[in-house]
Parts: sequence; structure tokens; C-alpha cells
Amino acid sequence: MNKRKHADLSVDFLGFKCENPFMLSSSPVAANYEMCSKFLEAGGGGVVFKTIGTYIPDECSPRFDHVRKEGQPFLGFKNMEQISDHPYEENMHFLRQLKKDYPTKCLIVSIMGSNEEDWTKLAKDVTEAGADIIECNFSCPQMTQENMGSDVGANIELIEKFTKATLAGTDVPIMLKMTPNIELMEVPATAAIKAGGHAIAAINTIKAITHIDLDQMTALPVVNGKSSVSGYSGAAAKPIALRFIANMKQDPFLKDIPISGIGGIETWEDCAEFISLGCTNLQFTTSVMQYGFRVVEDMISGLSIWMEEKGYKSIDDFCGKALNNIVPAEDLERDFKVYPKIDYDKCVGCGRCYISCFDGAHQAITWDAENRKVEIDEDKCVGCQLCLHVCPVADCITPGKVVFKPEDQFGLGSEAKYVEGGPNKRDIIVGQYDE
Amino acid sequence: MSENAKKDYLCEAVPPFTIATAMEEASRCLLCLDAPCSQDCPAGTNPGDFIRAIRFRNFKGAAEIIRTNNVLGGICARVCPYEVLCEEACSRTGIDKPIQIGRLQRFATDYEKASGFEPLEKVEATKEKVAMIGSGPASLTCGAELAQKGYAVTIFEEKAIPGGVLSYGVVPARLPQYIVDEEIELVKSLGVDIVCNTKIGKDKSIEDLKNDGYKAFFIGAGIQAPKMLNIPGTDLDGVTNAVEYLGSAKPSNGKIEPGSKVVVIGGGDVAMDCATTSRQIGSEKTMILYRRTREEAPAHKIEMSYVEELGVHMHYGFTPEEIVGKDGKVVAIKGKGFRDDSMIQLECDKVIFAIGQQPDDSVKSIADIKFSPKNTIVADEEEDCKTDVPYIFAGGDIVNGGKTVVQAVAVGKTAAESIEAYLSKEAK
Repeated sequence: MNKRKHADLSVDFLGFKCENPFMLSSSPVAANYEMCSKFLEAGGGGVVFKTIGTYIPDECSPRFDHVRKEGQPFLGFKNMEQISDHPYEENMHFLRQLKKDYPTKCLIVSIMGSNEEDWTKLAKDVTEAGADIIECNFSCPQMTQENMGSDVGANIELIEKFTKATLAGTDVPIMLKMTPNIELMEVPATAAIKAGGHAIAAINTIKAITHIDLDQMTALPVVNGKSSVSGYSGAAAKPIALRFIANMKQDPFLKDIPISGIGGIETWEDCAEFISLGCTNLQFTTSVMQYGFRVVEDMISGLSIWMEEKGYKSIDDFCGKALNNIVPAEDLERDFKVYPKIDYDKCVGCGRCYISCFDGAHQAITWDAENRKVEIDEDKCVGCQLCLHVCPVADCITPGKVVFKPEDQFGLGSEAKYVEGGPNKRDIIVGQYDE
Repeated sequence: MSENAKKDYLCEAVPPFTIATAMEEASRCLLCLDAPCSQDCPAGTNPGDFIRAIRFRNFKGAAEIIRTNNVLGGICARVCPYEVLCEEACSRTGIDKPIQIGRLQRFATDYEKASGFEPLEKVEATKEKVAMIGSGPASLTCGAELAQKGYAVTIFEEKAIPGGVLSYGVVPARLPQYIVDEEIELVKSLGVDIVCNTKIGKDKSIEDLKNDGYKAFFIGAGIQAPKMLNIPGTDLDGVTNAVEYLGSAKPSNGKIEPGSKVVVIGGGDVAMDCATTSRQIGSEKTMILYRRTREEAPAHKIEMSYVEELGVHMHYGFTPEEIVGKDGKVVAIKGKGFRDDSMIQLECDKVIFAIGQQPDDSVKSIADIKFSPKNTIVADEEEDCKTDVPYIFAGGDIVNGGKTVVQAVAVGKTAAESIEAYLSKEAK
């Protein structure tokens, strides 16, 4: 059978024409030739090879943990691994072989030094081994040595010094991978670009403690009775990543700097979201650790189908398209509210909306215990739509009518009522909910 | 009265998944490395991949996987005996119960239709003309596969509506007619022509078609002649058979005389369909007479439970002995113990034989090819669907004597490949 022709997913990233933007991030999933090769064969556009340093780290065991909610695993994932534990020469061999066997795939190599000489040497060696792009790891939160990892990403002086040192060893573009363990990423990112860097990769993992083992009174994973703060990733990290990326893409100095988006990418929709905020390259690890390299198949298929339906001929057509609609809170219109609408044919009478509205919102839903029927009290409803978010039934509660607030909305000497659709009636886009 | 019994004849028995419930079910899937479910689908529909696509919210991609492997994916989602195929193989069974693969497949194909997504692209017909005889699932699949390979396909159907057993056999509770119609439209949209009211061997012959330029033929004519028992009273008014009963109920949306007290004879899925139909279109009482035990009945247990919920009385262990008439009309049926000397007499005004079907003699007029003593066509449908005439291929019930829809889909795919191989060789 003949599938429809798929959309063109190719994208130019720092001068390299990638067949698609999907890449393994520098992590345990891109640690050797075999893994990278299997991912590229599955359809990936490239890889970011696991960080190469000048020494081999001594890793702990166990080293992972994950967070569940209501039985759903991998909401977030904690990992304590550091940089590559393969011998230096073996890594160079992997790189040479990858570039030889996959010349059209984008080979990005992550490096991390502890001083300027290291950074220059690493840059020079991986360039000679075939790197198309270098990623400077300024952000691993679980390094055991000073002046390495996320220490760098939070220190402007080190960022400038190591960016320049890297440039001294290579002529390929370099990308700086940033830590989210700060408030504003624009500051270190600007420093890195001013020092000569070409692109930003964001975000690395978030410093975290996932669980406490209440018998042993320590955090997870337990390493002979002890544990440490380390990097948190996966679905829980995505909203944080999107925030940092939007901020950078809206920064006047950084707005045209290419960004490789990282943080909880698992589905094609996640990919589309990062692209809509301006990313032209996407990296992921946690979804691969949970499900394997095959996740890329549904990214390719799903994104292609969606793009074709939306009429997007290329990634560029929608890249950054959401940025204009993300505005400071003070710029949002606040002169109307959107009431929820309950579909009584679908309502199962569980009362969840009543509970949440009473205990978590504005006591604007009434409960008829005998008939198990809820009703919205429009006098009290503020249009927050918490009910819609907690309702377990598909399309049962949806955004309903839009009303404009009276001009004297706090009732100071006026009897004005809410006016449906007026006085300044216009089209209000209320958002879409598909489940 | 049970919940099911209230359901209308035209109402699908199993409710559909929503996005949220489909995601919940897909999240139960273990996404096994070797996907035993995929290995156990005769038609190669590849549930392992489409469930994974649903899990990653790639719903249209899921539909694409289904359609590229099985053009009748929405039909199979409803009529497949998945509990003995993909779902039986499901690894999740080792934890609790299998993934509801059929319902997920239905979700994906429903989503495809609701969103207007078209996963298959039509291929221009530049190659030879090929004729399908009969328009059941084997011919529809074979025709669609060949059209996708660039052949000019025409399906000839003797009845007024295409679909064969899909339109005249399976009850709407399991397979609503609009689903059949939609998937036939899909097959037509790929370039397949369907000509109804044309019986090959009567209205036209294979020779006529050869003269019209057809270079290869697939016979998927099905089997329609009901098997009857040689007992007294079968000629009485009120005695009918499953082919007649179901085949008139479905095209008329259930507007037939249901019978007041109905006895269905048989223990297969078709017998269950007859019982379901009679209850849903208004019988006062429906009974099933089957000679063996419930455990031995070939009907799928889900269907049997459904029939039981509809309030059908099941009488196991009796074989019919005589249909009793008065003034030429049925008034009762007598049965005797199949394995003992028990006796039974059931008052009734309608008796439906649902003990199987066989090819009628007219099949031999289709083509001068080799038939078995049972009037089925001799062909190896697992291998290549070839008959003893090089340009004639056959498969489906007319070859295997009566199997499942998904088996017919599998055969249709095999036949298409075989026909392509034959025609490519001839073209050289």
C-alpha cells in the first residue's frame, strides 16, 4: 500500500543540512557507535555524542530514579551519570566511524574540560575525528569536580573563558549547553554568544531530589545508605525548558541565535511545541531510556502528517510562530470571562468539578445530591475553568459563552450586570481541549 | 432485562474509546520488543506499531500503519476474533488482562475518518486489467492491493449491494453497515471499480471478460448455500436459514418479520448473530438448539455471553428430530439428546438453520477450474491462491469452506502478490 508522501522535515542547523531535527542528546543513550548507529538507522537526523572529557569518571551504582503520579511512571527521571566512561581513543574511533558510515547525518560532539587547555585540545581532537558541530557541556549538575558542569553555566567568567578556549581548537560551529539551575538563562547565553559561540542548547537537567526512602532516611537512589542531588529530566522538565527557550527567543540580543531544544521530548507534539518556540534542533534522552530509539519513528510520522495538514511546507514555516503570542502577564486582556459549559448527556455525575470548585476555586458549582447533578452558578463563576481541567469525561465540560465584565466590575456604586457578548463584542479565542 | 437487550438493532454493541480512554488503554501496553500481537495477526495489521503510535499521540500515524497493512482495518477492528488472535498473544495477559487491541484499532480508524485524514494515496492505473469475482473481504482487499500496485481492477458482484458477508451476514451490533459502506468507498477511492448485479457464469462469463481485456481473475465468491438437516418439516412455512434471515434483515435495517417464538439451530457465530437479530428486531422469545455443550460450541464466548445477556434461552445437547407443523406452518420443533435419550419439544413459529454454509452448484459455472468434492475451489491460499488455470486465482470461503474476515483479508493480500508476480512475468 502507498502511504501519503510525507512533509519535508529537513532543517538547516548551523550550516548543516539535517534530514530532520531529531537527535539523541548527549547522555547514556549516545554513548558509543552501536547506539548512535541504531538511532540513525531508525530515522534520527543526527546525534549529540555523549560528553567526552579528559578523564574517565567513576560512576555510582545505582544511579537512576523516577517519579510516578497515579501509577504513571517516568513523569520525571533522575540520573547521576557524568561524562563518557569510554577511553579517549575509543571515543575518537567511534566518532570517525560514525562520520564515515553516516556522512549525511549530523554528528554533534559534546565535550567538557576542566581548564582552558583541556577545552582547546578536546575541540581540536573531536573536530579532527569528524564532528560537524561541537556542544560545550556547561551544565551537567552531577559532576564531582570543581569548575565543571553546571558550575560553569552559572559563572559568566568561566563561560567566556571556556567558549574562547573551545574556539581556539576548532573551526566548526560551537553550541553551548546551558543549565536551568539559575533564574535567567539570557545572561549566561548572551555571555557565551558574545564570547564567540554560535548556538545555545537548552536545557540540561534540573537539580533535584526525587524521593526520600523513609526507612533508610535518605534520598533515592540509595548508594550504600547515601544519595545526592542530581539532574531531573523527562516530561516534568518540558514546561521549564519551554519557558527558558521562549525567554531567550524573545531577548533582543539572542532572538536570532539558533537554539537546540531539550527537555522531556517524547511525542511529535512535544517536538512541534519546541519548534513553535523557535528551536531548529531537538534533543531527547529520557523517552529513549524508557522506550528506546523507536520513539523517533512516531516523531517523524506524526510531525509529517501534522505539517502536511497544516499546510506547512517546511519546519521554517512554523518555527517560532508561537513566540508573538506569549506576552507579559500585564499585556493580557482582562475584560471578559469564559464560562464553562457542561454537557449533561456526557456528565456521569461524579461531582469532581463540584469538589474542586468548592475547595479550590470559587464555590460556583452547586450539587444536587439526589440527582447527582451539578450546575454552574454564573453569579459566582469567575471563568477560571478549574472544573474543565479536573473533569474526567472527554468533552463534558468545555469553554462556553464569553461575557464581558461590567465597567464598574467591583460594584462601587453601580448595578451593572455582566453583558453577554458586549458592550465591546469581538471574537474571543477560548482555546481547544481535545480530551 | 439486561442493559444490552435495550439496544437497538442498528446500535453498535461495544462503545468506542475517546482520546483519553484510548490513551489509557495504550498506556497499559507493554510495547514489547517482539510484539507477539503483531505476529499473531493473519493480515499483518501490525498492532504492535499502531498501539505504540497511539501511545505517542500519533493517532493519524496509527491509522496509516493500519491502512497500509489492512485496507479493511475498521471492519476487522469490529469483527475479528481478537481474543484468539492478537489479544491472545498479548504479554499484558501475564500481568492482568490483554490490551483491548480491537477497540484501539477501531479508535484509530474512527479517528482517521472523523479527522478526514487519508492515509493512502491513489496510484494511477497503468497496468493490466484484473477482475475480482465477488465483493467480499477477500476481493476488496485483493482489489485494493492491486490498484495500489497500478493495476486496473474491477469487482463483479451478483447482488445489488457490494460487501458480501459484510453487508449480508454480520449483524449491525458488531458491524454497522455505514462502516462497511465507508470502507468500500475507501477501496473505490483507490481506483477499484465495483459492478453490481452481475453474476459471472450467468450474466457474463470469464471468456467475455477476457475479450474485454482482463488478464487475470480472482475468485472470492464466498459460499452462500445454507446447509439443512434432512428431517421432517423443513418445507413448512416459518422454516428459514441464516443466509436468508440475516441477509434480509441487514439491508432492510431490520425491517423483517422477526418471528414471535424463534428457534435457532446451531452453535457458531452465525447462529449467535441470528439470535441477536431476532431479539433486537422484536421476537418475543428466542431459543438456541445446539447438539453439543457450551464449551464445545465454535461461537466466540464473547458473542455467546452477549446473546445470553439478550435473554436467549440456550438448549445444549439436543439435535433436531422433527419440525412439527399445523396448516402448513411451524408450531414446534422436537429434539432428542445428542449423547443420551433426553427429549425436548419447543413451541415456536420460526426455525432458523444456522449450521453452516456450502458452495452451491452454480459456482462451477464461474470458471472451468478444479473443484473439490465439496464444491470448493482447489487452491493453496496460504501460499499463492493459484488454481489449475494460470490466470485464475481464488481465495476466501470459496476455497477454505468458511473462515474469518481477517483470514479473507490475509488471502486477498497473498492473492494480490501472486497476481502481480504472474502478470509481471507474463509482461516480459
